[in-house]
Amino acid sequence: MSGAFVRATALASALGPELGAATGRLLGEPCAPQTLMGWPYRAIPVEDSDWRRRAQTIARSVAAALRRSAGLPAGHWAGLPCLVGSSSFSIGASESEYPAVELPDAFCRTLAQCFGAGGPVIAMNTACTSGLSALQAALDLIEEGAFSDVLVLGAEFSNRLTVAGFAGLELLSPTRARPCDRERDGMVLGEALGAVLVSAAPAEWRVSALAAGVDAASVTGPAPGGEAMAATMRSAMDQARWQPGHVDLIKLQAAGSPLSDLAEARAVRALFTPPPKLASLKGAIGHTLGASGPAELALLLGALARGRVPPTWGYEVYDAEIGLAPSDGAAGEVRRVLFNLSGFGGSVMTLALERAG
Amino acid sequence: MLLLAPTLVNLAPAELADAVRTRFGSELRRLGAFTQLCQVGAQACIEASGTGGRLGVLLATEHGALTATRAALDDGPRRGEPTMPYTFIATQTNLAGALLARRSHDVARAACLYLEAQDWPWLLRIARSWLAQCERVAVGWVEEAAQGEPHRSHWCIFVREAAAPAIHCAPAGAGTAATTGDWIARVAAWRNAPGGPLELRGSGQGWRFTSHQSSA
Repeated sequence: MSGAFVRATALASALGPELGAATGRLLGEPCAPQTLMGWPYRAIPVEDSDWRRRAQTIARSVAAALRRSAGLPAGHWAGLPCLVGSSSFSIGASESEYPAVELPDAFCRTLAQCFGAGGPVIAMNTACTSGLSALQAALDLIEEGAFSDVLVLGAEFSNRLTVAGFAGLELLSPTRARPCDRERDGMVLGEALGAVLVSAAPAEWRVSALAAGVDAASVTGPAPGGEAMAATMRSAMDQARWQPGHVDLIKLQAAGSPLSDLAEARAVRALFTPPPKLASLKGAIGHTLGASGPAELALLLGALARGRVPPTWGYEVYDAEIGLAPSDGAAGEVRRVLFNLSGFGGSVMTLALERAG
Repeated sequence: MLLLAPTLVNLAPAELADAVRTRFGSELRRLGAFTQLCQVGAQACIEASGTGGRLGVLLATEHGALTATRAALDDGPRRGEPTMPYTFIATQTNLAGALLARRSHDVARAACLYLEAQDWPWLLRIARSWLAQCERVAVGWVEEAAQGEPHRSHWCIFVREAAAPAIHCAPAGAGTAATTGDWIARVAAWRNAPGGPLELRGSGQGWRFTSHQSSA
């Protein structure tokens, strides 16, 4: 069991550049996505034609919110490590600056500077699980006693290359994301900057475990039976010393993809009878790829702090093959959460969170 | 923590296809050069180590699949056309684990780190943490050919215990400055002509390498 806690979170997403207001919007009426290159897209509502200036504006806004929430002494930030998960880094800037291409590490150092984090910076990529991979490295640093606090960022900013790539693979919905819905027809991409300050000092939510696995069935999707996802959820529960009946809520990976949602549903049904409460956040903020770990974690904890299970935007019609019905946003007591992510390259991760005390 | 089989694969770009066929018996179709380079080096290292069991795959690079990224930026989005698979969202750097798993390795976890030259000690720290859940961790450094340098795919295996002679690794306070791109090569050269301990340092941390005879 981990000895690390979530000390503070902050988020900029399609629901807004500030987490409190974004949580309120999440719990309100769903709204339609914007578009990028003709595809539905969940963009952060910050306007600036200069990609770098916009990214830094967003980063400074998230940083200010995180620093207020964290309450760390100002001098503590000077030595704080910053671990960044992303799949596209600053490729959006390279689209306009080409042939100049900024290396990922350099962009991550810029992000760290926006937060005032002056310690080591590590850029990590495991595609859509990148943010959780960064969180895992942070837990390792805290576990070995090297640091008492570590900043974890999940960063994914608007770019045409990613949209073109997913469009080429025919993975995008032409309308909206409908996770677990019978009519689901693909994902909607989104951008986000999620920030999580992980700490050895006790806080409301303990990171009880973070399990990782590899699904080698295909480099672009899970095995149809969801075996690797089930094994990873099982591993997280084992590490946390939980039984399936202990789990109150599963934050699903589900993005609205016909096959991937079904594979995850099979994994959930294989482990949980009956299933606990379920929620997907990708209908609301889009699939934010490498940012989705910190971004969805911030939003999830924001909703739970208001005593609500996050609603699954886009879910309307029960699918008998899926066999699961995600939350409609009702109030509910949640003490233990499993948090699933999976991505290209077969990376599968499950985070186990527990209310401390 | 013990280090096994430091393995250096350096290839001219024109040699990559032959190296792939020699290693795997066929082409690796639909995979980019960076991914193929990862596979050739990692597989050679794993075979040389003679190890088995749950495997972590930890890959470092400074540039990543820059050739494919440039090609994608050159072609697709500018014309509003779909981009070919494996040329976007850093996918090539992220395939090593799944592709090794397809070669019957029991891959438990995998990650790619973009590291500056002096930051290589992070690889050893992370590998050491991964050994809590993996029986072995393959650590690699992969760069495509550029500026007169060949393709480079350098790998080693970390384990907690070894039945064969190995290299013991432990944090140290000082040492010769090494880089992400040369520390495995330095360890390989030292292993072939061992004298006293090899001490290397990067940003914030040094590591000491000494010969380790198996107690098995």
